[in-house]
Amino acid sequence: MNSAPTISTRGLTRRFGELLAVDSVNLQVAPGQFFGFLGPNGAGKSTTIKMLTGLLAPSSGQIEILGLDLNTDPVNVKRQIGVVPEGMALFGRLTGSEFLNFAGRMYGLDRTTAAQRAAELLDFMQLADQPKKLVTDYSHGMQKKLAMAAAVIHGPKVLFLDEPFEGVDAIAAGTLKSMLQGMIARGATIFLTSHVLEIVERLCSHVAIIHHGRLVAQGSLEELRAGVEAQALAAGAGPSGDGASRESESAEKLTLEEIFLRIVGGSRQEQELSWLG
Amino acid sequence: MTTPAPRAQLAAVAWLRWRMFANSLRSTRGKMEVVSRVIMTIFFGGAGFGGTMGCAFGAWYFVSQGKPEMLALVFWAVFLFWQLFPVMSTAFTNNPDSGDLLRFPLGYRAYFLIRLAYGSFDPATALGCLWLTGTLVGIAAASPLLLLWALPVVLLFAAFNLLFLQMVFAWLERWLAQRRTREIMGVLFILVMLSIQLVGPAVQHFERQPATQKTLDLVVSAQAFLPPGLAAGAIALVAKGQFALGASSFLLLGGIAALMGSLLHLRLRAQYRGENLNEAASAGVKKEAHGLRLGWSLPGFSQIVAAVFEKEVRYLLRSGAMLLSLIVPLFMLVVFRLGPARSMWHTHFMRAPDVAFPAAAAYSLLALTNIVYNSFGGDAGGIQFFFASPARFRQIVLAKNLMHAAIVLAHATLAWLLITVLYGRPSFDVTLATLAGLLFAAPLNFTAGNLLSLYSPKRVDVSTIGRQRASQVTVLLSLVVELVIVVVGVAVFMLAHLYNNFWIATLLFLVLACLSLSVYSVVLKRADTIAIERREALVSELCRA
Repeated sequence: MNSAPTISTRGLTRRFGELLAVDSVNLQVAPGQFFGFLGPNGAGKSTTIKMLTGLLAPSSGQIEILGLDLNTDPVNVKRQIGVVPEGMALFGRLTGSEFLNFAGRMYGLDRTTAAQRAAELLDFMQLADQPKKLVTDYSHGMQKKLAMAAAVIHGPKVLFLDEPFEGVDAIAAGTLKSMLQGMIARGATIFLTSHVLEIVERLCSHVAIIHHGRLVAQGSLEELRAGVEAQALAAGAGPSGDGASRESESAEKLTLEEIFLRIVGGSRQEQELSWLG
Repeated sequence: MTTPAPRAQLAAVAWLRWRMFANSLRSTRGKMEVVSRVIMTIFFGGAGFGGTMGCAFGAWYFVSQGKPEMLALVFWAVFLFWQLFPVMSTAFTNNPDSGDLLRFPLGYRAYFLIRLAYGSFDPATALGCLWLTGTLVGIAAASPLLLLWALPVVLLFAAFNLLFLQMVFAWLERWLAQRRTREIMGVLFILVMLSIQLVGPAVQHFERQPATQKTLDLVVSAQAFLPPGLAAGAIALVAKGQFALGASSFLLLGGIAALMGSLLHLRLRAQYRGENLNEAASAGVKKEAHGLRLGWSLPGFSQIVAAVFEKEVRYLLRSGAMLLSLIVPLFMLVVFRLGPARSMWHTHFMRAPDVAFPAAAAYSLLALTNIVYNSFGGDAGGIQFFFASPARFRQIVLAKNLMHAAIVLAHATLAWLLITVLYGRPSFDVTLATLAGLLFAAPLNFTAGNLLSLYSPKRVDVSTIGRQRASQVTVLLSLVVELVIVVVGVAVFMLAHLYNNFWIATLLFLVLACLSLSVYSVVLKRADTIAIERREALVSELCRA
């Protein structure tokens, strides 16, 4: 089995003027991992994923995807990855079928294959019943599904998804999840950002957490859980911070939300707004 | 919690507009926009001053000569400019969306006033007001006493124009919000614009025939009941001592202005109540069978170029406004054919078809400006797809230019055929010289367009009207480039005409074409580098909500 990482960054940094949005991030994502990239708002998640997909230039640092340097060989990298960026990157004045056809050919598929896969994907995503409808007239959930279909039409080895489940109903989310799990089963690597920690916990095998632009945790869910528990024990308290409840809590696993809050320090004293009804 | 006062809200909106302007100056692009705007303001200032002087003189002349009813000419000129300029020249029009303010606890009155205030910043409104001020000055100079009556009439006429323009914009936006009504509107708009172009030549054509004098009299009488005629009538009748009739004209004008205000109120009220014109929400699910549809292939070009070319053509065919701008040059050939131009050119300069074909070709290039100089504007969020895909930007830009070139070629062919039918066949040497001229001008135009599309993009929203379709920088620089092309083209043709040999023009244009194609090729090769350099600016401008 090839042990070289599918996604690897070294000292990845991005500045916006005075603001250090991403600070020397060193990421390692192994082949076949379903990787969740988490962080509070403004932590640098979207900036990182934009740099990993060539939508934003890093200020410094190196990015390797599938062993290729993104900076020196961007076309070969892009040929093997699929992307659903923040804005979904759709062409509103095409129909769904036209857009998928277009996307397939932009990724190098021949006309027949592009057309066949476009039709299959429209069926799979349950978007085939309104072939004349323009993408601009789609609902948000339909647009998300279409963006996902366009990202996978060429069978990418790596898939980057920025908040794929945002604004998507439970039925559409189910469709997307089953497609993603199918891809993982066939050996693809998926890198996603999400605020919905329950989904990340259910789908992802590995997680990284970014906070104030710095990578503060990285590993499998079990590794992260063990790390948090070890820290709590070293501090002389149980995982919940209360020595008395140590035994009862160790029987129950920490959820990803609890791990996340511990790591990014979500327990700050909230200021009370007395005038708020 | 106290209810916010409309005055405080208006002040907050004014502050918001100021901060938006001040914050825009933080970027280089924002500063360049301001410089372009200043240059445009100087240009419009010149037009405003000239128009004001013209209106003042006209008003003074008509009133002092005892023909105040002729003030209708001045009012019609102001009215037509005020209403048509914003529709025809969206690049100069700035009519921001006030709908975003609806989430605030804004009273309807404040919302209505804000919408009107936004409209008042429009260049056409500013110039219209200046010209009406000139008209008042002219009236005052000829008859100081009449000013007391002319002032409320002119103010009412200005209010009518403001309400009418905003009413038209508001209803057009309503119809443009949904695709079906948008398509119907597109067709109607084309018909109206084409009809307007025909008015002048038709009048010139028919005025020579005495049999139609009655019709003209009828038109003159009818115009007296329309707002510009009513404004002129109100002043003229009072000037002649017919106070009751003058007052009735004034009241009728007020009634029409109130009607426009009511129509605007109907639309804004619906907006204020939160109408949802989203087609996704209203469209029913209709199952339709579909087969496998292959994309287009473009012999000699890669899949990527063919795919982008197909996408560009589909976009063009779905944009009524862009199609309209492409049809206008051909229609102008009909307009000129009806007018006096043919006999004039035929006698004094050259054969009409030999003037018409190069002129039509040049106009075709001008008509492409909106598309060529902001070629990523319509892609909006799709620009991210281009950056994420393995396509090279030179391929994307080439595909876009191929569509532009196809339009130029189609235009030239159609123009040649139309000219042959309407004016006679253009001579072979002029035809060849014109085609050689296009070979020089088109690549130069595309080169400048490609650079400006990458350096100064602006998101285009096809569902709105009266919003800028290109940045001010693009508007200004495209005018300069096109002026240079026209000047070079005219100079070459004049030289050839001087020596009475159009093969000279062909030769010169071919030499120039070699230069412009070389420049085009160099810039095309650099498209990837430029796109990567401009990546963040392109994505942030085109993907903004």
